[in-house]
Amino acid sequence: MQVKPGEIVGLAGPNGAGKTTLFKCIVGVVHADSGSIHVDHMDAIAHPLKARKLIGYAPSETALYHQFRASELLDFAIGFHPQADRSLGRSLLDELGVPRRRRVGALSHGMKRKVLLAQAIASGAPLLIMDEPMEAFDPAARGVAISLLREASAAGRAVLCSSHDLTSIERLCNRVVFLHGGSVLRQGPTGTLLAEAGRLVHVTLRTPVDGVSLPERNGWCWSGSDRKWTLIHEGSPEDVLTAIADLPIASVRIGEGSLDEIFAALYAEPQS
Amino acid sequence: MSLWKQFLRQSWWIAVGYFIILEAALVAAILYWPRFRDNMPAITKLVPFRAIQDLLASMEHAGYWPYLAVQQWFKGCSLFGVAAIAFIGSGIIAREQDQRTAEFLLSRPVSRRRVLLVRHLVLSLLITLPVFLSSISAVWISRGVGEYVGWGEVLVSSLFMSLFLWSLVSFTTLVSTWSTHQLTAGAVVVGVVLASFAMYLVEGINQWSPFALVDVRVFMAIHDGVYPWWAAGGFVLASLTMLHFADRHLAHRDF
Repeated sequence: MQVKPGEIVGLAGPNGAGKTTLFKCIVGVVHADSGSIHVDHMDAIAHPLKARKLIGYAPSETALYHQFRASELLDFAIGFHPQADRSLGRSLLDELGVPRRRRVGALSHGMKRKVLLAQAIASGAPLLIMDEPMEAFDPAARGVAISLLREASAAGRAVLCSSHDLTSIERLCNRVVFLHGGSVLRQGPTGTLLAEAGRLVHVTLRTPVDGVSLPERNGWCWSGSDRKWTLIHEGSPEDVLTAIADLPIASVRIGEGSLDEIFAALYAEPQS
Repeated sequence: MSLWKQFLRQSWWIAVGYFIILEAALVAAILYWPRFRDNMPAITKLVPFRAIQDLLASMEHAGYWPYLAVQQWFKGCSLFGVAAIAFIGSGIIAREQDQRTAEFLLSRPVSRRRVLLVRHLVLSLLITLPVFLSSISAVWISRGVGEYVGWGEVLVSSLFMSLFLWSLVSFTTLVSTWSTHQLTAGAVVVGVVLASFAMYLVEGINQWSPFALVDVRVFMAIHDGVYPWWAAGGFVLASLTMLHFADRHLAHRDF
């Protein structure tokens, strides 16, 4: 997978899909078993320190140095970055409503997340990697975070973020990558994936059926097993209903056109 | 805020406590000297271990200097120094994993080697500086009980003890890079030190204990102008070797 300057890529997948491990490999906290990672055409495995100078990272873990004040933690975090902007960091804390003088240990989970978001943006790095950046944010803070990340992207910075909140990914990201077991299962522009989600049909059968008994058409793709199947189709829903009329149908549901829909189709059942 | 300030901030109060206890124990020991001197033959008879009897015998023959050496370096610095090293040093790396801050720290553009060396250096200074300060104060405090010790022998003895403690700091650093819990690292360090001290008390194997390198005989030799260069060199070599292995292990460790 690739993230280009000015692009916001969302990483989605169930727990254990490998999102956090991928981020940890990119920043060198975990050593990759195989494969390669390049940041700005530089081998990040061979030159982890140089690569990290180009990355503003907000980990999912909010266990931080609790004896620091919020502003001190920000200073410590960005102090290693050559392009860091301290005044920007402080104004971001204000914008996000983080009390700068309060000890990190006394901050709520959501407030710690805001400090992590602020330090990543204020690092000045051209690549921002955010693991669950908006987890525990209220809707207003989520809106601010989305606009901050869009501003970063508009300034030419690449943003790679993960989230279990697919609605936020839908609002924020230009492109979405679905991971499964450490591999890319499906990726594409958010618009294309949403259009695909509108072409989903969820079929529940009264009796189990194997894949070969299901009707085939050009551009159709079935996934699922036994009594629960999902179809991605090219034509109209009416054509689908006509084609599956001979199956022992218990219920049929037409896709709503959301990433949640895609997620459910990709991960709910074993892939066929 | 830089790396060293961050580590100093979480450790300084232990180092200050260590210095205060070290100094208080020294003052108490020096003030006790006149009574101890008068009752030495009786005290010697009460001590069960041969190694400790030897220490007392040397005090009986040579007077104040071996008493000061045992109280300040062999007992004070070893006991309180080891405690401070175990408290602070065990957390050099293991604490980051224990408190789940390792990902935050190591994802910064700073090398693991720099993190290790900066913290090791700060800890080494926190442990050895009180040794010098406290030992220097002994020169003045001793005059209060009518005893005089030379600057040279105090400074060389402090340096020698500091090198011994530095090797313990390096050992603790190595253990901390291997541990996932600070408590485990601390327990390993304290366990090894206690086992070494127990070895020192057993006649026949006591010469293999690291504490044999910092007992009263060494400080008596320093008093006589014979400096333990080989032992000092051994401490330096051991420290550097352990640091090298700590660095290598940390470089390959996942967090």
